[in-house]
Amino acid sequence: MAEPRTAALTVAAAVVVALPLGLALTDRHLAGASAALVLSTTAGTLAASALALQPLLARRRRIGRHQMLGAAVLCLVLVHVGALFAESPGDAWFALSPDGPTRARMALIATIALLGVVALGALRARLPISPGTWRLLHAYLAVVVIALGIGHAVLTDGALDDVGTTVLLVLGAIGLLGVPAAHAARARRARSNAGRPRREP
Amino acid sequence: MRRPWLLGLLLALVTVGIVAALVDSEVSGTGAENVGESGPERVTQTRPPADEAPDPSPERDCKATQSNPGGTNNYIPDAPERASLGSGFVITGLVRSAGGCRPLEGVRIQVWLATETGGEQDNRASVRSGSDGRYRIETDPTVPQFGEPNIHVGYDDDEYREVFIRRVVDLDDERAVVNLTLARGG
Repeated sequence: MAEPRTAALTVAAAVVVALPLGLALTDRHLAGASAALVLSTTAGTLAASALALQPLLARRRRIGRHQMLGAAVLCLVLVHVGALFAESPGDAWFALSPDGPTRARMALIATIALLGVVALGALRARLPISPGTWRLLHAYLAVVVIALGIGHAVLTDGALDDVGTTVLLVLGAIGLLGVPAAHAARARRARSNAGRPRREP
Repeated sequence: MRRPWLLGLLLALVTVGIVAALVDSEVSGTGAENVGESGPERVTQTRPPADEAPDPSPERDCKATQSNPGGTNNYIPDAPERASLGSGFVITGLVRSAGGCRPLEGVRIQVWLATETGGEQDNRASVRSGSDGRYRIETDPTVPQFGEPNIHVGYDDDEYREVFIRRVVDLDDERAVVNLTLARGG
């Protein structure tokens, strides 16, 4: 039964990635746009899809893919921001300034939280905090990244409006619901393991 | 987790800080009010709008328009004088003197905006106010620039203090009305 389930999850993940990307890249907003704007839109849209999938990967016993996708999200966000600076440095600095619009402030806070959540993941074994504290901090920052990252995309006029806005809201809901689901799965696994008899060495 | 209440308090404070930072921001950026209009073009009145009404003093001065953050984004000095930048969207407004509130004729106003035919550095023009103090230029429809359709209007000749403003419109707007009240002196 594992193979059909894996195939269905793979198809669902492909839809989560392809649908918003297709909507964004075929939108008239990008007609005649510069390469930097197309690159920025592509990276931002892929990051939004990845945010929806990321907590689902954390449900698994092995979290290698979760870690790889986390690093990929960070790279995508850096490409998104870098391309915006290439497109218009003045507008980019203004967006990041205290006078910038709400959507830019959401993006800035989400990026800081993303750096924090990636750092927590990378330094997990070396941090002098308990596993429970680590999990709470990681989940909190993940929720901030998803809520404000998707909120930034929803408030941004351009490639993902109308149907695109609905798609973004669904991505955000999947991501936000995925965080407690991942914790519940981990707790179930821990209870299950605790019930098994330990093998003597 | 030895002191869960401490961690909970910390996260609650961070959440309050995030909410405060978002509430404190302006949706389109500081001072970037929405100046978009649709429907038939109204004749702009030569008397000042209500929010810029003259002081009751005998000198009858008007409040000078202030630059707002982001006003100079993508500004390139001395935009060429052009009759139009396309069709489908109009940028218009009344240019007045802060001293006396009189309409000003022949004042060079520079506009720039992103449209489907190019970015803000491509779509720029200088236009002069007429005998009634009005300027008007038609452009191609706006497109979002950094997440929102916005227009820039500026004055930086010698006679009055320079003003650079950034305003926003909605995607389906047909017109942006940006009045400028210019003050002398540095």
